[in-house]
Amino acid sequence: MIDADYILSSLTKTFPNDFSESKIESDTKLTSYVEKDAIFNVCKHMLDNLECNHLSCECGVDYPDRNELEVVYHIASYEHPVVITLKVKLPRDDPEIESIVSVYWNANWYERETYELYGIMYKNHPDLKPLLLIDEMLGDWPLRKDYDGYPNKTSKNLV
Amino acid sequence: MGEMIENVNFTTSSAISDFLKKTPAQDIINWGRKNSLWFLTQPMGCCGVEMISTGCSHYDTDRFGIIPRDSPRQADVIVISGYVTKKYLPALKLVWDQMPAPKWIICMGDCSISGGPFYESYSTVQNIDEIFPVDVFIPGCPPRPEALIQGFIELQKKIMAKKDIGTDY
Repeated sequence: MIDADYILSSLTKTFPNDFSESKIESDTKLTSYVEKDAIFNVCKHMLDNLECNHLSCECGVDYPDRNELEVVYHIASYEHPVVITLKVKLPRDDPEIESIVSVYWNANWYERETYELYGIMYKNHPDLKPLLLIDEMLGDWPLRKDYDGYPNKTSKNLV
Repeated sequence: MGEMIENVNFTTSSAISDFLKKTPAQDIINWGRKNSLWFLTQPMGCCGVEMISTGCSHYDTDRFGIIPRDSPRQADVIVISGYVTKKYLPALKLVWDQMPAPKWIICMGDCSISGGPFYESYSTVQNIDEIFPVDVFIPGCPPRPEALIQGFIELQKKIMAKKDIGTDY
């Protein structure tokens, strides 16, 4: 039976230096921070050896106080009831991380959306271009907390 | 213009139709137009669901000559039924340009009027009336089908009064 405990021990055994602040909340939930250089190999290991074959979601978070961006991966499985939350810290001025599209194919659009909203660059992404925004808005990074489009640039003046 | 035919005179001006617009003939034309307001089935948000149900048999909009159409080539009215994102605006303009005149626009719901809940959003377009010649605004979130029918009736009144924005009189 593969549960959160088993997955964490397997991951820390394979990648001894790359996991920090790991927290097992229950049999099914595991949260951990991962070093950004390791995330590709971690995902590959989880898909190949731990049957975690479902990338449920991939998104970004902005922490201007810490001057950091975070990429959050929610990885689940069709084989056993586990949801793993992996977080990667990136510097805010140069956020760059390895794309995991070649591991989880559905990360393609998640990464494109995270790219257009947060400006996180994904290396080796097959087609990194805006998904929902128009091309002119590229570079504004609307979901970053210091985006100045809110409220002045968007609506005319109904207030 | 195609090739010229012998003994047939062509005009390149709109003098005849300009003249007709000032005569009672235009009243008869408008009477015909207002009784065949076919609208384009182009749902854009949750108001679109109300728009579709308005076109269904329960509300029987046929009695006003309001019939849902699938193609912009056959439609007279386009109902902007939801938020317009910046990405979608060029497509909406294309659909509007494909419709043959005379044509009218109805803004349905708070999203299309002022942004609604998406007011101040980074990805939606506000102030639609600066982009399209909007005749009728129907507030509500979403408006009930009865409100949409009321909007169509207001548009019919506007057409009979020759006050609609899309056509020059």
